[in-house]
Amino acid sequence: MDKAPAIEARQLRKTYLSTRGVFRREKVERAALQGVDLSIESGELFGLLGPNGAGKTTMVKIFTTLLLPTSGTATVLGLDAVKDQWALRRRIGFVFGGDRGLYWRLSGLDNLRYFADLYRVPPEVSRRRIHELLDRLGLKGRERDRVELYSRGMKQRLHLARGLLNDPEVLFLDEPTIGLDPVGARELRSIVRELADIGKTIFLTTHYMFEADAVCDRIAVIRDGGIVAEGTPNSIKDLVKDQGVVEFEVSGMPTQSIAGLRALPGVRSVAVVEHDLAQLVTVQCSRPSDVMTQLSGILDGIPLKKVSSREPTLEDAYVQLIGEAS
Amino acid sequence: MRSLVRAASSAFSVSVRLRVISPWAYLNWFVFPLLFAAVGLYVLSRPGASGSHLVYGLLGGGLIGYWSVAYIDGGNGIQDERWNGTLEQIFGTPTPLFVIVLGKVCGGLLFGLLAFIPTAALAYFGFNAVFPNLDAWRFVISLGVLTLTFFCIALTLTPLFALWRWAFSMINGFELGVYVLCGFMFPIAVLTPWLQGFAAVLAPTWAVKALYASTLAEGPHDFVAWWLLAGALSLAYMVAAYFLYMLVEREARVSGQLALA
Repeated sequence: MDKAPAIEARQLRKTYLSTRGVFRREKVERAALQGVDLSIESGELFGLLGPNGAGKTTMVKIFTTLLLPTSGTATVLGLDAVKDQWALRRRIGFVFGGDRGLYWRLSGLDNLRYFADLYRVPPEVSRRRIHELLDRLGLKGRERDRVELYSRGMKQRLHLARGLLNDPEVLFLDEPTIGLDPVGARELRSIVRELADIGKTIFLTTHYMFEADAVCDRIAVIRDGGIVAEGTPNSIKDLVKDQGVVEFEVSGMPTQSIAGLRALPGVRSVAVVEHDLAQLVTVQCSRPSDVMTQLSGILDGIPLKKVSSREPTLEDAYVQLIGEAS
Repeated sequence: MRSLVRAASSAFSVSVRLRVISPWAYLNWFVFPLLFAAVGLYVLSRPGASGSHLVYGLLGGGLIGYWSVAYIDGGNGIQDERWNGTLEQIFGTPTPLFVIVLGKVCGGLLFGLLAFIPTAALAYFGFNAVFPNLDAWRFVISLGVLTLTFFCIALTLTPLFALWRWAFSMINGFELGVYVLCGFMFPIAVLTPWLQGFAAVLAPTWAVKALYASTLAEGPHDFVAWWLLAGALSLAYMVAAYFLYMLVEREARVSGQLALA
């Protein structure tokens, strides 16, 4: 018999209702999730990638019982996230990105003690666990300082400690490295990997491709409330394995030239990022050499800087997926 | 059950700690009641005023401080949690919101009782005001009943603040309304009859009436009836609170209103 998945969504939908207008108010419906199917095995480190507003946080909030779906089912550890919220909350942990969500005027230790009580951890267990978590997350020695004196990285590690107070079987991390410096983000990623290695099931949302590539066993890409791709980071990269990437820098590239690039045979996507006075253009295509040959004609005399061709990365696969879906 | 009691006492402890380090809390339990008491005592101590009127200044400032802290703990406290991003965090724990709010409200009540200290000191040392005919037992029981009414009102109103942000904008209106309607600073007999009707459905009105009566000789006093009325109204609030918390537990999960964004 197959082992039951740790996290599962079946035809999961969520629609938010709001109003707009001042004098003539009208109701507005916004679909955040549109029939998502997802299955995550026990012990997996699963990454959900997607742009802002794609539905990542909504999905995490449904699994963590903070939101009710409009329809469909969401189960975690075999428990229904809608009906079994009290039993489920004891067995899961969640950490949201950013430095809010803590009592800044209390010490880190006070924060952990309080949440340990709210998670209904027996006092003898919570004392030992808080001590272990402070040690493991590098907060030992600063636990009696007020949280407002902590660095961003320390606050995020305190968040993680809070999420682990009840020794959860499943941990939900919603953009946990957002706003962290590279060293702090790397430290946090390594802790997350360690947690997965000791058997925790981890559901991580991020929009950093390298993060998903570095730590996740499996990923899914979400766009406009729907999953557009799912698999290992390598299998997602394989979606663009037959392609190459041409990158170049120009100044004052007109929109006709961008349209001209898009119209070239074999071009899958063109992304333009404004960088100071220059534009960094990334072209995904099946034959990079053809694009490079025709580039000067399309740019029509605009001087080119830094032209290069490279192998596609997970980020390129992501850009293509997001581009295709839109 | 034990773990729920521990969660409530932890919420109480955090509520008290946050108040100890918050300058705003000192305004509520010390500065504002003192100002109200000073004005009240000054007006009531003018020549020609009855000595027993000073009791309204003596107790009134403390009552205002007590109510403000108890009530604000429900309103501001929840709004602070929302701004700090902790409202969603505490909601997502296996402890029902009701239990957490219960602990926080008790913390507010303890802090609110402190408001009687500066106002009583001002009344005694500044205006030589004393309770003319204090019936100590009835006074203590009335204060206990008053505490129960504040507890029940704060517990009932808090889910409204958690669920609907517009409810928070009415916080000051209701805070000041209760000062007047429940007779904190003057007897409600001076209010118009229709306002007295409103006052009658507010549980603190009866507890405050009993509290003042326990310090004054003039009768007739019907303490038991007043205490029972205050208790019955408090019970009615708790029934409403039960349904409100069920509504919050569900509606907050439908609308996602607990997050700031």
